[in-house]
Amino acid sequence: MIKTIIVDDEPLATGLVSEFLRSYPQFEVVAICHDGFEALKAIQLFQPELLFLDIQMPKITGFELLELLDSPPAVLFTTAFDQYAVQAFDAKGLDYLVKPFSEARFAQAIARFLSQHKAKELPESVDYPVSEERSKRIVVRVKNEIKIIQTQEVSFFEAEDDYISIHTQEGKFLKKMTMKQLEESLDPDKFARVHRSFLVNLQQVSGLEPYEKESYLLRLRSGQKIPVSKSGYARLRQVLGL
Amino acid sequence: MYLTAFSSSSFGKWILPGIGCIWFLGAYFLLLHQGMGEEPALVDAFFFTLFFLGGVLLLDRVFRHYTPNRKNGFLLVIFPLLLSGGLVWGHAQLLDWWFAEESDYLELLESSFLYRWIFLGVVIQLLAVLAVVISKLAGQEELSRREGQLLQLSKDAELAQLRQQLQPHFLFNSLNSIHALVLASPQRAREMVLLLSDFLRGTLRSEGQSWISLSDELKYLSMYFDIERVRFGHRLLVEMEVALEVESLKIPPLLVQPLVENAIKYGLYGTLGEVKIRVSCQKEENYLLITVQNPFDPQDSGPEGIGFGLSSIERRLFLIFGRTDLLFKSAENNLFQVQLKLPLTA
Repeated sequence: MIKTIIVDDEPLATGLVSEFLRSYPQFEVVAICHDGFEALKAIQLFQPELLFLDIQMPKITGFELLELLDSPPAVLFTTAFDQYAVQAFDAKGLDYLVKPFSEARFAQAIARFLSQHKAKELPESVDYPVSEERSKRIVVRVKNEIKIIQTQEVSFFEAEDDYISIHTQEGKFLKKMTMKQLEESLDPDKFARVHRSFLVNLQQVSGLEPYEKESYLLRLRSGQKIPVSKSGYARLRQVLGL
Repeated sequence: MYLTAFSSSSFGKWILPGIGCIWFLGAYFLLLHQGMGEEPALVDAFFFTLFFLGGVLLLDRVFRHYTPNRKNGFLLVIFPLLLSGGLVWGHAQLLDWWFAEESDYLELLESSFLYRWIFLGVVIQLLAVLAVVISKLAGQEELSRREGQLLQLSKDAELAQLRQQLQPHFLFNSLNSIHALVLASPQRAREMVLLLSDFLRGTLRSEGQSWISLSDELKYLSMYFDIERVRFGHRLLVEMEVALEVESLKIPPLLVQPLVENAIKYGLYGTLGEVKIRVSCQKEENYLLITVQNPFDPQDSGPEGIGFGLSSIERRLFLIFGRTDLLFKSAENNLFQVQLKLPLTA
């Protein structure tokens, strides 16, 4: 049996997916969730192999939910939003069902999943172009809770191996992503990469002081100090118009 | 103006040299006819033509940058008069110096001064009028071109508004609900089709500018709520409170609906659990007060975020009533409230 979870904020929509799934006895629907919070819990509890995921949902979107999972299952997106087809984040999904979808289209998606499931290889993802839209918030997981951080409240980001630590007034949060991904998702007018492992919120900068030869320290409102590399200094001068 | 207008066509670039040739030949034969020697007539006619063409160019320069209007229209007469006088005088001075020894010629030159002035004056005057007329025409053409663009723009805006109103996300999700209901509950599927059709018809209808009765608008809103209840029945609660006396009042279209859409967007799509949306309509002195209240998550969007979608309503209110004090927003205790204050005419 293939453990499956259906996530959609509309009961009729989840109903339709489970109805379609009834023709495939090898799938077992272990949970039906109506928002990202329920879904996160259910995914951790059941460790499903397949996820039907709506994108537009209250509080956190389907994409944000995926970001929170360490090893996400295979995902079939279901959404009424065509625009996400062209401006999705770099979230990885197996297929993309635009509502309302036919049973034949559904069968196609299932076949796609099964062929890769049988091959026992990691599902090959559909590539989504990176969003043009700059994200205004970051969703992180703290133990089993979901925390939504507004990017404007972040004072700086620091790279730590495979993780990024997000420093805010409330403390430090970890999220699995790369500095490059992060930098691309943020508004370059508001955030600057001042060092290989540091990205600061320009609104939180309170001063700049010389350190050793050709290097500087950035002072933040919180009192913390951040090293600035030579190229970071050049970038900083450019964005701040020094 | 006419120079720029003429020179743009392949035909135009021959106009000035052509006029110059005719002018030159005309002057030459006229002077010969007046008993002038061949050589002086040739030189005289040549310079006269040069001065004439110079005057035309000057005129064009002046009117290209400055078109006289009704108030200083006299310039249109004075300027060519002075210009032609100056040209004829300059021409006379030049030839006076050139043929200083030929008294016969000088006599003839002196006696023809007034005629030359009158002739040149009339021609330059005509050209000046022509220049103004052409520039006016060109201006009008530009104006109508801009009007066309404006029309196109407003059509585009109208289309965009329609697309916005139709809310593809709402529409496709509703269709998906029907898709799900067809087998599970055919009766409800039918109801949903009818609701959605009536709702869409209402959306298309409200394009016009005519005012509609409040009860019609409310009927339309309750259709909207009914559709959302089919989609989110488990968590949407709607409370409508309408005073009897206001039901027949007329209101402008497209004012209340966006408020409710906003409430649904932040209340229903933006929060978890049960959601209560309140709509109340009552009369207060000479105003109709329409209040829409919804819960929201301040962490998620902040009150500014919520109010943002309402700026188009403020603009519409200003266009209709000429006032900016008719929309009130407040956000307290996770409850967002918008109040619309419509002045009752009559």
